[in-house]
Formats: sequence, structure tokens, C-alpha cells
Amino acid sequence: MTDLSKTRNIGISAHIDSGKTTLTERILFYTQRIHRIHEVKGKDEVGATMDFMELERERGITIASAATYCTWNGHHINIIDTPGHVDFTIEVERSLRVLDGAILVLCGVAGVQSQSMTVDRQMRRYKVPRLCFINKLDRSGANPQRVVEQLGEKLKLNPVLMQIPIGLEQDFRGVIDLVAMRALYFDGENGERVRQEEIPGELRHEAEAAREKMLDAVSMFSDELTEAILEERVTEALVLDAARRGTLALKLAPVFLGSAYKNKGVQPLLDGVTRFLPGPTDVANTGVDLSNNEAPIELASDPRKPLVALAFKLEDGRYGQLTYLRIYQGSMGKGTSIVNSRTQRRHKVGRLGRMHADQMEEISEAGAGDIVAMFGIDCASGDTFTDESIQVAMSSMHVPNPVISLSVKPVDKKSEDNMGKALGRFVREDPTFHARVDPESSQTVIAGMGELHLDVYVERMKREYGVVVQTGAPQVAYRETISQRAEFNLVHKKQTGGSGQYARVAGYVEPLIEGGDFEFVSEVRGGAIPTEFIPSIEKGVRSALVKGRLIGFPTTRVRFVVNDGQAHSVDSSDMAFQIAGRKAFREVYNRARPIVLEPVMKLEVEGPNDFQGVILKTVMQRRGNIIGTTEEAGFCRVEAEVPLAQMFGYATDLRSVTQGKAEFTMEFARYLPVPAEVQRQLVEEYGGKAGGEEE
Amino acid sequence: MYRKFLNARSPLRLLEKGLHGGLGTGNLGVVLAGPGVGKTSFLVCVALDELLRQGRVLHVTLDQTVSHLRAYYDTVFEDLASTTRLEDEVVTHAEIDRRRSIRAYSGHAFTTEKLREAIKVETEAGSKPSLLILEGLDFGSLPRTDLADLKALAGELGAEIWLSIACSEERVGEVPESVRSVEDLVSVILALEPGPEAVALRALKDHDTRDVSDLHVALDPRTLLLTRS
Repeated sequence: MTDLSKTRNIGISAHIDSGKTTLTERILFYTQRIHRIHEVKGKDEVGATMDFMELERERGITIASAATYCTWNGHHINIIDTPGHVDFTIEVERSLRVLDGAILVLCGVAGVQSQSMTVDRQMRRYKVPRLCFINKLDRSGANPQRVVEQLGEKLKLNPVLMQIPIGLEQDFRGVIDLVAMRALYFDGENGERVRQEEIPGELRHEAEAAREKMLDAVSMFSDELTEAILEERVTEALVLDAARRGTLALKLAPVFLGSAYKNKGVQPLLDGVTRFLPGPTDVANTGVDLSNNEAPIELASDPRKPLVALAFKLEDGRYGQLTYLRIYQGSMGKGTSIVNSRTQRRHKVGRLGRMHADQMEEISEAGAGDIVAMFGIDCASGDTFTDESIQVAMSSMHVPNPVISLSVKPVDKKSEDNMGKALGRFVREDPTFHARVDPESSQTVIAGMGELHLDVYVERMKREYGVVVQTGAPQVAYRETISQRAEFNLVHKKQTGGSGQYARVAGYVEPLIEGGDFEFVSEVRGGAIPTEFIPSIEKGVRSALVKGRLIGFPTTRVRFVVNDGQAHSVDSSDMAFQIAGRKAFREVYNRARPIVLEPVMKLEVEGPNDFQGVILKTVMQRRGNIIGTTEEAGFCRVEAEVPLAQMFGYATDLRSVTQGKAEFTMEFARYLPVPAEVQRQLVEEYGGKAGGEEE
Repeated sequence: MYRKFLNARSPLRLLEKGLHGGLGTGNLGVVLAGPGVGKTSFLVCVALDELLRQGRVLHVTLDQTVSHLRAYYDTVFEDLASTTRLEDEVVTHAEIDRRRSIRAYSGHAFTTEKLREAIKVETEAGSKPSLLILEGLDFGSLPRTDLADLKALAGELGAEIWLSIACSEERVGEVPESVRSVEDLVSVILALEPGPEAVALRALKDHDTRDVSDLHVALDPRTLLLTRS
């Protein structure tokens, strides 16, 4: 079994185009997992090893996070490559959930960009300790000092430079290690030979000042080091230990420098991973105890304890259905019997492997702290597996609801046959991707987190399954809600031969300001309504929520309070109260002033200051609400909230008005009421379609 | 409560009365307080009042981020809405957000020249501010000409401009040296004085009035809202 203190489960996260796939490629090369370097969008037609999906190679972006592993200085490192584009953040979140530490890659020129902020927020949520790697120092305009300042200002990290650069831009030659006080150069065709030298004379002074600053920051975490500094007997081990403590406590972010593309600074970063980032035993993981009312339960990274493993990613590969697992406790091997906590189904582990992008190495056993791939077991992403002795689930991961949908229509028979299979797999792999058949139009509708998100799946259907579809216009996921309190008192009576129906319900509805979709409250006293019929009323109301009365979208944020009513000893039934509940809600709805809510995206646009005016204009034209503008050193960043309905084709527009010099990121922010004018329009359109549809 | 009543009963009306009609358009006002006492909270209250009365606000900060300041607005608004049981909270919130703009200048990117450009951009976009708040300006090193320029800007816009200045704790009761030399350009100077229960507001200068009256307004440090005292 592997020594857990020498295992690292890490992720590499960053803004798109910061060079994280390039960095991963170098890491794999220096750890001798691969023997040749392929570039992203490579001219050699191979593409980077981690970007294994055809589509990724073509677009030059990383979509699914491939898992791979390598060894460095006797440490076993599992790496999850994470996608940088916001539309795929569920992938990032899922990866972070199973990681113990991460490298945050930053571009040395652009610095902390909007996506770095999103990723950092996610890391904070899952309490992932991180190292920072300031990349691309060979590019003109690289300024690591400014990036460090931004890490403090924008991400509120406590960044500490562990190195200073030797030269910058085209003169970038290597780094000075401030712990060992040595200059490091990277020789050989691919920078594989690290050469240690004396610090060049002209940098001596700067290096000493930087070291002092580093010691100052690091000594906060070790009294021993503080004493040693005073007595001038600082050792490397003391500094490394203190920096590690600060990092694990999430109070310090060691910063490394380099240029992955130019093969510089990667090996010291790997040293940093083994030295500063936690092993599985350094991190507390908790699950929920299903046998004890979902009470939190601490898991121990001990291979001898009962098994707890989380399925965090599914894939269909050349080896069939593949499930990536993070083992939190216990161990498993070929032939072990495991139970899915959600379905209670028992499975027998067949083949077990370690993934290296899309190639696999078979292993016979794996233990706590490991990330492995399992074959041929049917489950959903986010499922927990245990052995039969305990009933535990890992807490659920944060999964946002889809905000956009698109109808897809297969163009031929072959596409029709394969579409279901393709969609079934995507849905299992990605919890933010949904597919359903609309009962009215009997068309297949797919839904997800953004335009690009859906585009990618349409492309993947074509490439991987040969499914060609015609897509409809993107449809925004509106919601309806009420905006004021209103009372109801409704009698449902029916006497047309046979047994009659009688139910009276009274109470009020009001907006659920605290959030949440629906709350049902019964304040009925003195048995005005027999208790067995209370759930019937709730059922009736819920059925009315599914399709709102304004534009046919689900109704949310409603509190329904029933406080009085009446039943008839013969004519009252479950059905009568269900109908009464539904009718009462429909009847009171208009008086509660219903409004339409729309998904609003948080948009961040960055570009040169000269384009500030036109950038603002693109936002204003889209009913956007500018939250603020930040100006610095020739650049401006506009933060805004814009209705998703207005964002189709934004990429093209922005490119044309800024000559391609601005970039943007977008993610779902919240639901907000649409302006009265837009509501009127939506209601009219819906009225035209649905015309007088009743009960 | 309806917005009309909320506005009528706002402690800001009391403040205006105490200041003989408020700051007034074309004028500069200064808020003085020690660090962390509540300059931003006070100014956000002033801004929300302006927004709730259909005004437009440009809030400029040199030492905070856009998201930080925005969180301030959201928190103070939510407190205000819940303590006054404001009708139509969600709709109102969305609506006033549209009339507020935040600008952050990091590093030393700020000049009055830049501010003029920014206002031009805002005005072209249809949101000419009626209230401008400027925070984090270093008064000590600010040339008199710049302040005169700000005063002129207030006149051109027909807007009120509030500035906040951090001063050392023990000297809150008096006008600091850096302000005294330009006092003639400033119409109102308010000091925030922390007390055991609340932060009291005191006028150190009120236009040309010699007798500066009691303001009867305080800032509740728990809710960050203005109250009557």
C-alpha cells in the first residue's frame, strides 16, 4: 500500500489560456510519464496528452478533466486537469471536491482575471489549499510583482514569493530559490536538466530583500522559525515546515514562477507540490451518516477502516463505462463487493485502473487517498460507494439548475437511433446537463448552463456518435413567482350523480423572500380539515406550480398557508382536497400579482481602456445592469448583470466592436423579475400559443 | 411600508433639516471618521436615499473593489427593506441597482481628469449622476486645484458630491489640517463619533451658518442603518 504522507491529489485550475494544459504536459514529461512533449493546438497533429477528446484538440480548450498520475521524488501525485471555461464549472467543482490541494495558474501578463476569481471562490468553498504559479514570464509585459499584488487585492490570498525571476520577458532565464538561496537554470532541449548556481551578483541584493520578506510572512506560522530568525540559525527545513503549515491552514499561498512553454520553473513547482500541499491524511473529510439521520461523520484516511469512495466522474471510453473514484476511507481491490449508498445496489469490482489521460494501467488494489478508475459499473456522478458495513454518503455537491434549453431534432434515422444513447451518457456524466422530451411538442429538449455548454454537447453527439441534429432557437428557463400576499377561500363542490366531492380550503399565499421554491404550511386548528387531507391539499398545489399561469414556466418562491377549511363526512376525499388545493392556488394567483423571473448572468468584460465606452454600450443594449467598472494600468474591467435572454451572439458582437481586444466570462448569477414591458410581451406570446387552455 | 413613506420618514430628512436643507447641488461635503467607524456605511445610506428618490448615483472608490462595495449596498438595502417592511422589495432592489454605478480605480489610476471622462461615459450611457461619492482620496496630497475642479464638476452636473476622509481616532472632533486649508471649497463637514450605543453624527461645518445645530441622527453599527437619536 502506498505511503499516504507521500500521496498528493492535486488539481490545476486557471483562467482559459493561462497555459495549464501546457503546464500539465511539462509535469508529465519531467516525471517521465510521457516521453515527448505535444503542444496544445500543436503543429505536430497530436495535441497535448491531457486534451484527449478530439473536440478539445480542435478548439484548443480542455473540456472534461482527465485524471492522470505521476511520481516525483518518491511522491505519488494524482493530477486532475480542469477546464477553464466558465460554462464547464461543474467539472471544476467536481474536481475540487475530491482534491486535497491545487495549483492556481496565472498568466504573468494578464494576472488575476475574472475566471481566476471564480475558480478561487470555488477553491475557497471546498477549502482547498493552493500554490500559485505565475506562468508566461517570457511574454512581453510579464510582471510577476503586479500579479502578486492582485492575488492579495482581488483574491484576498496571502501570496508569498518563494522565488524571484532571473530576467523577464525575452530575457527570462531562470529563477532564484529564496529558501535555498540558489539560482536555478533549466538546460537541455526541453529544460529537463536543472542546473544550480550561485545567485548572480547583480541580483544578490534583491534576492536577500525578497528572502527577508518571505521569512517574515512564513514565520507567522512557526514560533520555532521566529526564534531561529532572531538567533540567525534559520534552516531550510524550518522554513519549509512553516510555509507548509500556513498553506494547509489556507492562510498562505506560496508563489512560484516560470514559463511552462519555455520549459522553465516547472520542476521547482513540483518540489513545491510535494513540500507544501497536503497529503490525504492532512485533510479532514466528512460524509453524512445515513444510519444516523444524516449526521456528519468524520472519515479517516485509513486503508483498514470500512470503505467510503465517491464517484466524481463518469466517462465512456474505449474500455466501456468508466467511473472515476476518490477513495476517502478503507480500500478496495479486484473482486471486492461494494454497495452504492443511493441505490443500495451491490456491485462486484471488476477491473480497476489508474488513468493516464485515455490510456490505462491496470492495478489490483487501491486504498484511502487514491484516485482510481473502475470499469463496467452503472452509477451516476456523485454516488458514494461503501462496503456493506457502514451507511455513509459524501455530502452532495453543489449543482446549479440549468438556465438555457435547446430543442434538438435528429436529421436521419441513424441519428435518431443513437441520440438517446448519446444523451443518456452525457446526462450521467454531467449533472448540469439535462435532456427530456417535451410532452407538448414531443421534441427532445436539452438544457444546461450556457450557450457554449450546449454547443459542445451537440458537437460531441456528432463526433462521438455520428448523431446529426437540427437545433431550435435557444430558450431561456424563465420562472414565475408572486409578488404580494393574497388570501383565498375556496369551495370545491360537485354533485353530478354518484359520490359527490366537497372541500373548502382557506388561507393565504405570500412570496417566499428567504428563497427556496415552495413552502407549504398548515395552520388549521380544531380539525376544520381532517389531518389526512392536509397532504392532499399540498399535492394539489404542487401540481399547479409545475406550469405557471402567466407563461407556462414553473412557479417558484411561494409560501402557501392553509389556516381554515371544511370537510364533508361523505363527500370529502383525497381527490376533492387535491382539486381544491389546485383550484385555490390558481384562483388566488392573479390577485398575488404574479411576475416573471428570468435568469440573469454575471458578466465580466476585460479590455483596453480605450474601449470602455463601447464595452459599456454592448452591455446597456442588452438590458444589462452595470455593477461597476474598475480601471487600472490601461485596462478596464466592467462587471455587469445581464439577462441571459439577451446574451446570444455576444461573443461575436464584442469581438467586432473591440477589434478582438476584449474578452468576457459569464456565469449564472440569480433570477430577477423581468421589466413590466418584457413581461407583457412574454404573456402575450404565451397567450397566443396556449389560448384559453383550462383545467 | 410604501416607498413614499419610507422616504418621508428617512433619518436623512432629519439630517437635511439639521443642515438647513442638506448639502445642496453644486456643493462638496466631507465625512470625517476614524478607520472602521462607518464612513462607507453612512455614504451608502445617503446613496440609497438618493436612489429611492429616483436619483442616480456614481460611487467612486480608490481603495475598495467593485464587488466589495456592491456587497455593502446589498446588505444595507436588505436591512433597510426588512426593518421598514418595504413593499415590493425585490422589484425595488432591481430597479435602484440600475441607477447606481460603481467605479474602482486601483493603484494610482485616479485623476480628476479620469473622473470627468468616466462621467462623460456614464452620461452618454444615459446615467448622469445626481449624487457622486468619492472615497479613499488622500486629502493631504490633493492639490487645491483638483478640489476646485471637483467643486466645478458638482456645479456643471448639478449634483452633490460627498467625499470621505479617514482621520486619526483622537482628533475626530476637529477639522484636520489637510481640510482646513481648503475649507472654503467645502460646504458641509460631518464627523462620525463612535459612542457606546451608536455612532453619532456631528456637523463641524454647515454652509455659512455660524450656529451649527444638533443633527439628531446616528448610525447603528449593527445594522449599518441611520437612525434618529
